Amino acid sequence: MKIIVFWLVSGLAAVMAVSASAQTPAGANAVRGEKLYYAHGCYTCHGYNGIGKHNIANNASPLLADEAAFLIYLRARGDLNPLLPTQRMPHFPEESLSDNAARDILAHIRTFRDQPPPVSESPALNAILEGAALAVDSGN
Amino acid sequence: MDDSNKKNTGVSRRAFIGSSVAAGAASLLTQVPGASANPDTKADGRRPVSKPPSDEKMAREVGDARPSEITEIVSRAASDLMVQVLRNLEIEYVALNPGSSFEGLQESLINFGDPPNRMPEIVSAMHEGSAVDMAHGYARAEGKPMVALIQGTVGLQNASLPIYQAFHGHAPMIVLVGNDEENFLKVHTGEDIAGLVRPYTKWDAQPESLEETLAALVEAYRQAMTPPCAPVLVVLNSDIQKQSYEGVDLPTYKAPVVTGVGEPDANEIAKALLAAVSPRISVGRLRSPAGIEQAVRLAELVGASVKTMATYMPMSFPQRHPLVGPGADKSYDYHLGLEQAGAHLAIHGPHLRDMTGRDPAGIGFGWKEDPNLKRRVKPEKILRYDAEASLPVIIAAVEANLTEEVRKQIRDRTRSIEKANKVERFAATKKTVEKKRAGWNGSPVSLARIYAELWPLIKDLDWCLASPSNFSGRHHVGLWDHDRPHSYLGVYPAAGVGYCLGASVGAALAAKSRDRIVINIQGDGDFNYLPGAVWTAAHHELPILTIMHNNRAWHMEYMYLQYMAGVRGRGTDRAHIGTTFRDPYINYAKLADGYGMKSEGPISDPNLLVAALTRGIESVKSGEPYLIDVLTQPR
Repeated sequence: MKIIVFWLVSGLAAVMAVSASAQTPAGANAVRGEKLYYAHGCYTCHGYNGIGKHNIANNASPLLADEAAFLIYLRARGDLNPLLPTQRMPHFPEESLSDNAARDILAHIRTFRDQPPPVSESPALNAILEGAALAVDSGN
Repeated sequence: MDDSNKKNTGVSRRAFIGSSVAAGAASLLTQVPGASANPDTKADGRRPVSKPPSDEKMAREVGDARPSEITEIVSRAASDLMVQVLRNLEIEYVALNPGSSFEGLQESLINFGDPPNRMPEIVSAMHEGSAVDMAHGYARAEGKPMVALIQGTVGLQNASLPIYQAFHGHAPMIVLVGNDEENFLKVHTGEDIAGLVRPYTKWDAQPESLEETLAALVEAYRQAMTPPCAPVLVVLNSDIQKQSYEGVDLPTYKAPVVTGVGEPDANEIAKALLAAVSPRISVGRLRSPAGIEQAVRLAELVGASVKTMATYMPMSFPQRHPLVGPGADKSYDYHLGLEQAGAHLAIHGPHLRDMTGRDPAGIGFGWKEDPNLKRRVKPEKILRYDAEASLPVIIAAVEANLTEEVRKQIRDRTRSIEKANKVERFAATKKTVEKKRAGWNGSPVSLARIYAELWPLIKDLDWCLASPSNFSGRHHVGLWDHDRPHSYLGVYPAAGVGYCLGASVGAALAAKSRDRIVINIQGDGDFNYLPGAVWTAAHHELPILTIMHNNRAWHMEYMYLQYMAGVRGRGTDRAHIGTTFRDPYINYAKLADGYGMKSEGPISDPNLLVAALTRGIESVKSGEPYLIDVLTQPR
């Protein structure tokens, strides 16, 4: 039951997000959002820059593409509490995070850009990969 | 130095060890009065009658530095013999936080022998818990005990959690507890001190004479090394340490007899391995490097693909051995587990959990599920024998059943397994490095980047990752090659935080004389329990590079509290209270500097990381421990 509810909520948000564009929500403030992102501990799972246990940089999730989808996702989780699966993202009912605050956080999240170098340009990663390749070539 | 002391022991280390080898498989029947494997068997009638301390003694304990009154000149100190026994057992280190209940033994440690304070050497610990954690780390790296020397009831209670953790970690160690029954503060003594930790030690003794004490030390070593390995404890009477001896013979150590599978089982296993089209061997944690060599020998002999736990625990099969991997044929029609589940048969030694009778109070400490048996595929059959002891018998049975035709099949199969594993390894590594790129240039620094940048700097060295990596992402698993018995020492056996730093120092004690370096990726929450071990590392010039995983929180608890607040609909913006280190932040580089360790940081710019790591490795290679404070992403 819990899993079904979770996927219904996620699916709804995803559908809503398909046609949306990744723009800063009207009236939202990314600077305020940065402080809220930290204060509410979003970074604990998503990292300070959107890379963490669950990556959200580069607008990785369809839930981030649209303000409405983002809010529905947050609120549905809160309203359905405690039916949702445990050990997932905390619930955020409006009493604990206002719509405006959520929009600010979303605006901040949309600033996350992760552009790591290709493996070939990282000496460390390249050395690790070459080590594995060497084993193949040399018969070791 | 009185040379007569050395001569009077009458037993050289070589002769001592030699006698144990000569004893071969003979069982040890040493009777140790006062020994207690089970409290029900504890001898009665040894309860000391404690006298209240004199005014002089009380004054001393509150700061008067006058030594206790000595009324007898001791030319042959009994505690010298205790040191000689430890030396004969090749105990390298005694970690201690000083205490007056063992000053006799400590004086012998620093002055007896030529040279004194060697084998064993005193390691200065700031806390009894650190001393035991050091012994734990050493045991995981080397598979043998060192000593933690503890002061009475107060020291033992400080040491309690680390002993509990070592017990769950099956770590062989000898805990010696001084007990000054007659002359010291009553609150530091106990009639049955070992009872404080009995439920989570394997064996203990409270000997009442010098002869009993020496026998107890030897038996303690044997008990610690007999699987299931675990901490053991001997209570050392203060007066016995200080007495003079005359005509005392040192006890002979006889190695434990470890039971492996018998020949019928070995023959059955050998035939099954040789008959299989796709044999597979899974290897968990063996007891010693010699056991690993035997496991490699068996796998190569039968041409089996191998699953290793070397990225989870010490003493397992080398991760990059060509046979490690899924192999070419994944049908695995015969799957043998060595201290690990196998689909068809597991050889798994006795578990401490199965011991009874050492928890008379019925506390019932919980056991983690045994990871070696928690597998999707349950073995059809478990043989409750020590796997390492079983290997020589199985190998002999395999060799006896090998024919030339089978040898050829094995050669062909080995080639195909190795070829498939190489392809698999490259594909897995390619996938891993792609994944680890995420957040590469982010600030604070990504943990994956720390592990990745370290590898080129250590790959050609003998290294040991002593810190549990479950809180720092386990990024070493796919990036590093875990090919030595001590490559990775594993997770917290009882999830008791505060272990990491002390255990890493213990691993570095083992590393110091073995041209090895220790890597400690140190959680900040863990660090702050017993930070004094930093001074120990600096003082003893241990080869340890500590990289602070400074995420400024007890991060797991932070996330759990967030979830709890979220479930209750009360928001997560106060979940940092009691779970984080803010206002002020802690500067670990300054802290290390204060303890006398070279350090730098905090570093938040990832582009500064490689240079810092390089300086750290160079420092450690030259014999100076180093700490780098890195502001990190949470996980």
